[in-house]
Amino acid sequence: MTARTALRTAATVAVATALVSLSSTPAFAATHPDDGGEPGAGLSVIETLLIFVGIPAAMFIAVVILVNASSRARGPRYRPGLGWWAAPIWFNGPDDADVAVRTATATTGGGGASARW
Amino acid sequence: MPAGDALSARQQDDVVRAIRLARQQSQLPVSVYVGTLEGDSRATALQLHGALGDEAARTVLIAVDPGARRVEVVTGSEARRRLDDRAAGLAAMTMTSAFQAGDLSGGITSGVLALAEQAQTAKSLHTDTPE
Repeated sequence: MTARTALRTAATVAVATALVSLSSTPAFAATHPDDGGEPGAGLSVIETLLIFVGIPAAMFIAVVILVNASSRARGPRYRPGLGWWAAPIWFNGPDDADVAVRTATATTGGGGASARW
Repeated sequence: MPAGDALSARQQDDVVRAIRLARQQSQLPVSVYVGTLEGDSRATALQLHGALGDEAARTVLIAVDPGARRVEVVTGSEARRRLDDRAAGLAAMTMTSAFQAGDLSGGITSGVLALAEQAQTAKSLHTDTPE
């Protein structure tokens, strides 16, 4: 190690030590307060309730609404065993179904199948 | 007949599309009824099939009663030649397995397509016994 390098090292250590010890003195603390070190005005009861009860409750309700919205918009859906509520619907059926059914004669000579579930 | 609100507009579109597909691919007219089948469900389904008029003989009617959990497949006298009772039973089973899971429109759609597929298979004339 040359004398030059030793000098540079000593200078660096001295400056660093001086900075640390200077900034930790009571006089320095008095003129340079830490961030958040000074307490602000306290929260009122209403503000406290609003922040710590109102906001979580609002978020909870928002999630519930989002979850329910899609099924609510779709209306009641068919569930096996819970009965049937809707009006009959006939795809590709006769134009005037009520009259057609009343005046029709039941099909004979046809086939098919029945099933239950 | 008034449109039932049991099937959403999109589900009704699906059923209509399946019926159209069956007609295009297999020239099979399919009619689908979803509602209560009062009294004897088979007799009511036959009455509904008769109400199809001139088309009845060529048409297959699928009658679904979700409340009573019954499905009836009625083939007209002409349609029966293309769709035997075994094929109709197969389609009915396809539908009930979906209905059990609560999928009404999906079951109807796959039932219609199953009927169309069964009707599509051409008869191999050389192995058929002559009628």
